[in-house]
Amino acid sequence: MIAPFYKYGLFGDFTSLIIAFLIGIGFGFFLERAGFGNARTLAAQFYFTDLRVFKVMFTAILTAMLGIFYLSWIGLLDLSLIYVSDTYLLPQIAGGLILGAGFVIGGYCPGTSAVSASTGRIDGAVYLLGMIAGLVVFAECFPLVESFYNATPMGRITLPELFQVPYGLLVFLIVIMAVGAFAGGSWVEKRMATRKGATHT
Amino acid sequence: MKNFWSTLTLNVRLGLVVGLLGLGALFIGNPSGTSGVTIDPQELARIVQTETDHVSVETLADWIIQGKADYRLIDLRSDTAFVQYHIPGAENVQLTALSGYGLLRNEKIILYSDGGIHSAQAWFLLKAREYRGVYLLLGGLEEWKEKILFPAVPANPTPDQAAAFEKRKQVSTFFGGMPLDGTRQEGEPAIAMPNPVLPAPQAAGAAPGGGPAKKKKEGC
Repeated sequence: MIAPFYKYGLFGDFTSLIIAFLIGIGFGFFLERAGFGNARTLAAQFYFTDLRVFKVMFTAILTAMLGIFYLSWIGLLDLSLIYVSDTYLLPQIAGGLILGAGFVIGGYCPGTSAVSASTGRIDGAVYLLGMIAGLVVFAECFPLVESFYNATPMGRITLPELFQVPYGLLVFLIVIMAVGAFAGGSWVEKRMATRKGATHT
Repeated sequence: MKNFWSTLTLNVRLGLVVGLLGLGALFIGNPSGTSGVTIDPQELARIVQTETDHVSVETLADWIIQGKADYRLIDLRSDTAFVQYHIPGAENVQLTALSGYGLLRNEKIILYSDGGIHSAQAWFLLKAREYRGVYLLLGGLEEWKEKILFPAVPANPTPDQAAAFEKRKQVSTFFGGMPLDGTRQEGEPAIAMPNPVLPAPQAAGAAPGGGPAKKKKEGC
């Protein structure tokens, strides 16, 4: 077992911040290269004409999931030391809905708005400012929402623990789901593209 | 075969690789359950010899009073004994249930039982499974009762001893105990164990039982 490096004390806080910075730059770079600095591309997935965001994100999930699973199986990674944030079911559902609504309205999610702003797009910069304003409002109003924020705590729980199934079975199901969704997504894209072509031109 | 592969698009190839890895995962089942137990006898002997694995009852009492929440306190006694009395903030886990209890390998874990035998055995079990921050409450609950809950004033105390006893009295009162300062007569009924619910100052801090109120500053 040699990973996670930080938890095994291979480097300290300062080095971990530098590594986080480099990973963040890399994340932003690939978001930009995937075309996610453009609100039109991002919004297109809500009209099912371009499911690029969905595909990129699901690819990342699959890569990370299979990587963690197999590294842990080989014995290079200690799964129990990977940070899993605590689950607060209702507040997290509410947060997801708010984030989704913001995504539909503004055309960006937090990371892509930073990418968009840094490539000089004005809508991205406005979105970023709005996000910061929202953070300030949330922080100032936190006492009002604190009881809901801490509601329905479930602790550190993962899907295999919740459903009492082996990790491998869940990995397999998610792979099946993803591959199916990729094939289905491509089909929907083609269909919607022809329909759009028929109605709008 | 090679011909077939070259007719596929990149997407289909990636899909096939991912599908194979997923199928492999199905047969592997649990990725980390196979590691078993490893022991470094020399390292364990060194820890035992240097006594770096001990936490004294006074230190623990200080931590609880200060409201520290960076550790987990594990009570290894039976549930009936636990319900009767436990150190504030403790979680009741039986030795047999310890491996499935959801302790993390990088947490600071403090074990206690009545004396010290069960906690020492649990310490060894956890150490063998590569838990790093495992500590024993030195003397166990017996020492906790003797030094924290019901501290006794020494016969003919020197001024220093008397001053130390005054501090102990305060600690004892905080935990709902009863200092034995000589006013109590022989033959009185045995002292009742206090209710493990802490008085008001503590309640504002860490939730007893390591409840979900605390959040780690980690993650995204």
